[in-house]
Amino acid sequence: MTADSGTAPADFDYLVQPHRVHRRIYTDPQIFELEMTRVFAASWCYVGHESEIPAPGDFRTTTLGLRPVLMTRGRDGAVNVLLNRCTHRGTVLAAEASGCAKRFVCPYHGWTFAPDGQLVAIPFPADHAVEDHSTLSLGRLATATYRGFVFATLNAEPEPLDCWLGEAREAFDAIVDRHPGGDIAVMGSPHLLEFVGNWKLSWDNAADGLHATFAHESYNTLGEMVDTETVLARDPGTTPMVSKALRNGHMVVDQRPGIPQGPWATMRRVPYREPLENALIDAGDESLLDLATGSMINLSLFPNLLFVGNQLLVIEPVAVDRTRLQLWLTSAPGAPPEIDLLRLRVDEDFVNFGTPDDLDMFERVQRGLSIPEMEWIDMSRGLPDSAAPDGDATIYGPITSEAPQRRYLAHYAKLMTTPTATRAL
Amino acid sequence: MTVAAARPPGGPGAEMPAAQAAVLARYDELAALLAGMDDRPGADPGLTAEAAPVLLHEARLLDAGRFEDWLEGWTSDAVLWLPLSAQAHPGTDQSLLLDDRRRLAERVDWRREPSAWGQHPPSRTTRVVGSIEAWAAADGLVARSSLLIDEYRHGRHQALAGYQIHELVGDGLRRRTKILVVPALGTGVRNPSFLL
Repeated sequence: MTADSGTAPADFDYLVQPHRVHRRIYTDPQIFELEMTRVFAASWCYVGHESEIPAPGDFRTTTLGLRPVLMTRGRDGAVNVLLNRCTHRGTVLAAEASGCAKRFVCPYHGWTFAPDGQLVAIPFPADHAVEDHSTLSLGRLATATYRGFVFATLNAEPEPLDCWLGEAREAFDAIVDRHPGGDIAVMGSPHLLEFVGNWKLSWDNAADGLHATFAHESYNTLGEMVDTETVLARDPGTTPMVSKALRNGHMVVDQRPGIPQGPWATMRRVPYREPLENALIDAGDESLLDLATGSMINLSLFPNLLFVGNQLLVIEPVAVDRTRLQLWLTSAPGAPPEIDLLRLRVDEDFVNFGTPDDLDMFERVQRGLSIPEMEWIDMSRGLPDSAAPDGDATIYGPITSEAPQRRYLAHYAKLMTTPTATRAL
Repeated sequence: MTVAAARPPGGPGAEMPAAQAAVLARYDELAALLAGMDDRPGADPGLTAEAAPVLLHEARLLDAGRFEDWLEGWTSDAVLWLPLSAQAHPGTDQSLLLDDRRRLAERVDWRREPSAWGQHPPSRTTRVVGSIEAWAAADGLVARSSLLIDEYRHGRHQALAGYQIHELVGDGLRRRTKILVVPALGTGVRNPSFLL
């Protein structure tokens, strides 16, 4: 079950240059196909959170580089990430988004698998030539967790997850540790939003500190109408907010230095805010209100997980010009219940008055990139980068710098030019 | 399960402030209205006939972009709720939106902002309201209707279907509650900011 990811269809030294990138990486179906293996199968990808599958048999489905995958909790309590494909004829086993199953029975011919992927029964076994069922278990991905977040990869020789996260662990820990007891959970039923554009457009946007001033002008105007300075309304040229370009394509925008009055002060009055806010204040828990909105650290773990506000934004490529965004909301089980009740309404705020602008920009860019005579996307803002001698250290810049985009794309180009064996265990 | 019963703030025995209890009660009311819809008996013909022009008028205002006029038709304690599934609860599950009267007004302001790129240029929509049923409710009626929304924007087209539940109250049958269920929200839709 080893696949060679083949030869590169393009010269990535040419397509991804330090100051500009070629439109083809957003429009070429062959490049997209190679990305699904060299980027998505070969990297660690976020699959889900342990809190979504608390009991043995609980499962959730998603895709990893277009491959249907299944995250399960085994009878032994261990988390498994499996290929959602019957080893008989290839039927997708679990069609539901989530559920609980003692066994996964293939609807086509009745092959039956345990939640850990072991083949436990074949109908009419006497007819069957294969006696050793262990060779017919579901394909399994290498799986590792960090702070309850489950990552998986098909890379035959994956870097340990901790090493792959590297410097990103500092922001990751800060996001988790702000929750009382370090206890963070993920609510079910994500928003699923699609756009007609390449998945990298959402990645380019994730650490783009400049677009907030222009693309999100209407969000900031809504704030001004009620004398609220939203986090996106700060002057990007002078704010002390910091962007960081990390190893392995990870990125951070740390907005905390730019909002000395704290996260909650940046929020408009969401529905039913006052009764819940007053209840917390009366209980002496006013300091917890910051938990109702985001950490003000945007952390992006390449290639598919963005921490934005209290959301996990999972990037799911569908086609070269089609992307699905899964927006999951995190909860704070160790905080008073008012926090999660407020989070639900805060969550809708940007989804309604900010995200539509981003989706529109992604689709506009994809349309513009269809023009063959205009080949290049400029990413030179903030050059030269102050790279450390070993090339691995974090690059810091003002949030107007395009260093995070440059650096993730350099990592991307490296992945795309490195044939990596991928396999199911 | 109700939020008010399941999640007493301040721990067991603590008394919940009345204002907060009212919020949770409203959430529970919304979830119950949605969850109980399929158990209702056949509709009241007279009330159905009363509800129809109100629902059709709303659809016409929205398709015409007459959002300020549309806003006038809501009560002061109004809620517009777009859950992500028919099993959702506004106090425990993400929603596309749950607007009180204040956020409804903000939404209309947002639609008028020239820099609200997600709706500028605006979606052109055509709503088809059908299968209207209505039943008696306190101070008015509850109506369920099917809804097709055809959207055209940036040279692209999407068609969504779903159903809506209206609680219409008082002499003018003003909207106190509207729940719009669009199953496609659970599978992936393009920029849904035209949905109201």
